[in-house]
Amino acid sequence: MGLTGLEIFKQLPKTNCRDCGQTTCLAFAMAVATGKAVPDRCPHLSEAARDFLGSASAPPVMPVKIGAGSKQVEIGNESVLFRHDKRFENPTAIAVTVCDTLSNGEIAARVERINGLVFERVGQVYKVDLVAVVNSSGNPGRFAEAAKIAAERAEFALILVSEDPAAIEAALDCTADGRPLVCGANAANYQAMTGLAGRFGVPLAVRGANLEELASLAEKVAALGLRQIVLDSGARETAKVLADQTQIRRQALKKFRPLGYPTITFVDHEDSLQAVLQAGVYVAKYAGVVVLDTVEPADLLALITLRLNLYTDPQKPPAVESKVYEILNPGKDSPVYITTNFSLTYYSVAADVEASRVPGYILPVDTDGTSVLTAWSAGKFTPEKIAEALNSSGIAEKVSHRRVIIPGALGVLSGRLQEVSGWEVLVGPRESSGIPSFIKQQWKT
Amino acid sequence: MAVAMVKERWPGRVMELVIGREPHAVKAGGESTLPFLHFEGEIPNRPLAALEVWDVEPEGWPETLAEAYPGVTRDPVAWAKMCEDCGADLICLRLAGAHPEGKNAGPAQAAETARAVAAAVNRPLIVIGCGVEEKDEEILPAVAGAIAGQNALLGCATMNNYKKITEACLSYGHGIIASTPLDINLAKQLNILINETGIPLDRIAFDPIVGPLGYGFEYAYSIIERARLSALSGDRMLATPVICFVGQEAWKTREARSEDGGGWGDQARRAILWEALTAAGLALAGGSIFVLSHPASLNAFKKHLAAMMKPFTC
Amino acid sequence: CGGGQGGLGSLSPLYRKVFLSLKEPAPGDGEDDLARLSRAIRKEAGVGELRPGLDVLRGLPKTLRDAGWKVTVSLAEGIGCGCAEIAEIEPGRVGRKYFGLAVDIGTTTVVAHLVDLESGRTESMKGAYNRQSVYGEDVISRIIYAGEHKDGLEGLQKAVLDTVNGLIREMTEELNIKRVDIKAAVCAGNTAMTHLFLGIDPTYIRLEPYTPAANKIPAVRAGSIGLDIHPQAWVNCVPGVAGFVGGDIVAGVLASEMAFSEKMTLFIDVGTNGEMVLGGGEWLVACACSAGPAFEGGGIRHGLRAVSGAIEHVEVAPGSLAVKYSTVDGVPPLGICGSGLIEVVAQLYKAGVIDRGGNFVFPGRTPRIRDAGEGREFVLVWPEEPALPGGIAVSEAEIKNLLRSKAAVYAGIRSMLKKVGLPAGAIERVIIAGGFGGYINIREAVNIGLLPDIPLDRYTYIGNASVKGAAMALLSRQARQALEEIAGRVTYLDLSADNTFMDEFVAALFIPHTDLSLFPTVT
Ligand code: B12
Ligand code: SF4
Repeated sequence: MGLTGLEIFKQLPKTNCRDCGQTTCLAFAMAVATGKAVPDRCPHLSEAARDFLGSASAPPVMPVKIGAGSKQVEIGNESVLFRHDKRFENPTAIAVTVCDTLSNGEIAARVERINGLVFERVGQVYKVDLVAVVNSSGNPGRFAEAAKIAAERAEFALILVSEDPAAIEAALDCTADGRPLVCGANAANYQAMTGLAGRFGVPLAVRGANLEELASLAEKVAALGLRQIVLDSGARETAKVLADQTQIRRQALKKFRPLGYPTITFVDHEDSLQAVLQAGVYVAKYAGVVVLDTVEPADLLALITLRLNLYTDPQKPPAVESKVYEILNPGKDSPVYITTNFSLTYYSVAADVEASRVPGYILPVDTDGTSVLTAWSAGKFTPEKIAEALNSSGIAEKVSHRRVIIPGALGVLSGRLQEVSGWEVLVGPRESSGIPSFIKQQWKT
Repeated sequence: MAVAMVKERWPGRVMELVIGREPHAVKAGGESTLPFLHFEGEIPNRPLAALEVWDVEPEGWPETLAEAYPGVTRDPVAWAKMCEDCGADLICLRLAGAHPEGKNAGPAQAAETARAVAAAVNRPLIVIGCGVEEKDEEILPAVAGAIAGQNALLGCATMNNYKKITEACLSYGHGIIASTPLDINLAKQLNILINETGIPLDRIAFDPIVGPLGYGFEYAYSIIERARLSALSGDRMLATPVICFVGQEAWKTREARSEDGGGWGDQARRAILWEALTAAGLALAGGSIFVLSHPASLNAFKKHLAAMMKPFTC
Repeated sequence: CGGGQGGLGSLSPLYRKVFLSLKEPAPGDGEDDLARLSRAIRKEAGVGELRPGLDVLRGLPKTLRDAGWKVTVSLAEGIGCGCAEIAEIEPGRVGRKYFGLAVDIGTTTVVAHLVDLESGRTESMKGAYNRQSVYGEDVISRIIYAGEHKDGLEGLQKAVLDTVNGLIREMTEELNIKRVDIKAAVCAGNTAMTHLFLGIDPTYIRLEPYTPAANKIPAVRAGSIGLDIHPQAWVNCVPGVAGFVGGDIVAGVLASEMAFSEKMTLFIDVGTNGEMVLGGGEWLVACACSAGPAFEGGGIRHGLRAVSGAIEHVEVAPGSLAVKYSTVDGVPPLGICGSGLIEVVAQLYKAGVIDRGGNFVFPGRTPRIRDAGEGREFVLVWPEEPALPGGIAVSEAEIKNLLRSKAAVYAGIRSMLKKVGLPAGAIERVIIAGGFGGYINIREAVNIGLLPDIPLDRYTYIGNASVKGAAMALLSRQARQALEEIAGRVTYLDLSADNTFMDEFVAALFIPHTDLSLFPTVT
């Protein structure tokens, strides 16, 4: 939102009364500045402060909801250009197309395939979000029928893609309960489309031939009372779409209202590999929805993983995954080193193990990305946690011995660790730079 | 409705790094805007895509990858020629054979391989060591001498071994790769240290040790994006072009290797996509030089880059 | 409290005696003894609500009448309590002196002042190592010990009490006074120390989300914890802010006077935890950057506190690498203190021995640089020089540890500035507190990037601000109110809450900094 903690603080009563749940007004101001609290949480704001902070903290990109119930996805509500500034809020919704020129059976089969695009990663389930029913037939009745089948079978909400108000009306008649995104309005049909979207209470995508036309259309649609708007700049070439997406986001952050909505993008590359790369650009650069025409699991796995990565919280400390790392092709007799998953710590140790030229295994314990002593201090690097990591990492199958090397700073843990893990514990040097000489002297197999 | 375009006026730009000799030299970097935003600045050079060639036959490569280089993986010269034919902008020779745990090739042997490859191809060269810091500071000076004047890009120099490698690059006229693990501040530190030994900033590429999709990609993405923003804002110490060793990382992943991930689709396609999408993503963040493993990924990536570089009216 | 007048300078001690000459009750005025007394006290001493102990009340009628209505009343106030206790009534005018105890309970050292509460003069100051050290050097080890050993907490409490009681004994003997004449105490300590001092379980200070039992602790009777002063005396602990910003810092902020100043001030206590406070009259933010003990000579083989024989100034000649040094008190060197270490790092960098990252990069061969088993080290003092048998050297690992400590301090400062949204240039003055600061060469500290590159005349050193603040609280009601107010107003920043600190930390792990533009006067 651009206001600093101090700027917000100036608007607050400065009584430190704690009614907002923060210990001081300044703490509250800093929480508002980073988007962790909304101004309304302070019950003692003056009218003027409320207005000032309220408008300053309104999301520059309007949040828009597509779908209903468990199928609902939210897009928009973004407030930055770069993910390192602050977390990207709502992941780009991935939509897969279904054409109404397919037979009913084919439509059902394709929807089933889309339903099956579900992937598991480190215990979490990830999937696509939307099914885009495309009115290629030009026939409203046919479109409505296709939409109906899709709505019945899909585990996702729908996008109804047609610029023919009659087709949209027919489709909405049987699918409006699911709050599909209507896609959409253009300069010629926007009045009819806006009327339909309003009547059925569904969000509406608006397409302009360029950004100017898009802005004025969006404004007109908003003037007709619709707030749930999604923008389509009309561009289809990747580099042009990137430019438009960037412009729209920048305009939104500048609080240029007509472009303060999430966007929809369409992948149209005939080369199916290129299509995925194109979609990747849109996921990274600001698309609220990306529509693509593939049901290949490989394509979607790659795209969804990209999205997952880009939408993680950048404020998590850089940590490495807690698993067994093999340095220089170790074998059954190689040493096992314990460290933390703080990246600075892990990489120091890895570099020094490598420098020792003695192959080895490194097992970084998950300490929430903190250094050895910080983790130990905060109870995140206990003998129990180390033993648990030894047991669950599978390291026991990789080596034939039961000896483990711990950081020198943790010497005090060795007795207890030996007890709870059953491994013999060697206390290494305090600094990992001592590993090369340590290992040559102390590691005999 | 008139929309006043928001165009950033950046005071800085990315350093332009020249690799190789005319008429085959290539250029990386030089941008005065964020990646592919043609409407607000210059993008004089398209990102570069290199293919990797090893001095020894790689072990443990998945079949999909090994099959791409039929009959040449034991002969770095033939392999490099094939990569050239596949359309690689540069050849990246990896001296894996120098690894002390492997063939443990010495400086002379490494130098000879580099010389032979350099003589056989026109494309400019990247030569990287075996990744063991101590060994690399031994072999790279010999390599630098053997291909003196070729204006190759040598690496990877780290916090611990940059001194000897920079000396060699300075003496024999090569660029250098500065490698630091996933941290923008460390990257900047090494750039400063190397620059202070006398190597100009436009002779350095920095390697943030990128993670592939699903395995730390986001850290690399943000480091590269932040570095680009810093460069454009005028921080010369972060303005060196970024080199991304995507291939080696992408082909390590389970997604690229596993035959059947349970509903993950075709393995070959998945692997190619993993490599190409990692590269495309990092190019969007601001990467300049990409070292890939598979010719198909190279193709897909270059085709994508062509689309991203296509001028359009605004 | 009603009617607390007077500035910090005007005397309104925590404990005081007032002589009163009361009017005898006359027929018809209907006022009871206590009301009569209270009215007189209020008029004389300007205190609000009064509370007599039952013992005092029981003896009141007789004492008043036996003394002919001329009595000396002892009043005990507290930090954060709006009333005064009538602690004692004695007949006539009592001339006997009475004292107050101010203590800074540090993890490593404990410092006490004995203050004459009538004159406001500090009569004696003593310091000693905290006897808790046998249970662990740092706070964390002690917290763990307290939690994991049977009677651990009692043992730690006893150790610190023994330390303080030892100081009390020394001071009372020196002044030849009785311990029961010490009628009040104010203690300032970090949160864990305060917990241990009172025997409160400190376990959860250490564990996420680092919650203390109490930041604001009501006063307790000296007798109830075994503090060797008058058993009925109240022991007041200066309120803290959070698990890692305790009463010692609040007391220090009071002593620094930054809390009521227009100037944007940075207060740094360069102890093990590296607490710092930024702000002024309007707001205050604080954090603990956990710098580590390197600046106090901890964790360094030849590290020493700034005691006699500690090397405090060092020069290394570029080229020859000849070393010149001077020690505290000019005696033969025994080790090196924090300020000496700072100069060593600055000088080694200037001489080209280490690079900006702290790596040894000296190209030539010289006996000054030798292999120390786990990496290289630089010899400051040869074995033959009149010193320790092995000489004095600083290793690469130790230099890197010091760089981590200095990076933590600088990153803490930057994080605070960033969180409130101020540029580095906004700092108008820096107040350095803590043990090592007296000797610190600010110029070299800036050169290595420990302290911000602002004009050197903006730096001041205040010594042990914590015990000063505690002593102020003994003497002034306004100071006591200020302590409460400061503790309530300080906004604590948890540096582990997001990546800001870590990013700044790595950026600062360089000489002077990765962003050289932050150090324009450093080359
Ligand atoms: C940065 C820092 C922090 C950061 C967090 C950093 C992080 N992500 O981990 C913050 C500020 C959040 C933090 C918090 C705390 N910290 Co802290 N922190 C530090 C600091 C300054 C540097 C730590 C660091 O990053 N080191 C770099 C990494 C690479 O070091 P490392 O993990 O230890 O790894 C090295 C060795 O251990 C060894 N090694 C590692 N693994 C292995 C494995 C093997 C097999 C071998 C042989 C060797 C080896 O080699 C590595 C390279 O040399 C140190 C002080 C210092 N000067 O070192 C204190 C320190 C670690 N913290 C400490 C403490 C107590 C805390 C707190 C719990 C309390 C406090 N006082 O602040 C809090 C938590 C509460 C809070 N939120 O404030 C103490 C630990 C005390 C102790 N018992 O020794 C220290 C030592 C400072 C002090 N007060 O004395 N801290
Ligand atoms: S509720 Fe309002 S006045 Fe009270 S502390 Fe929070 S911000 Fe300040």
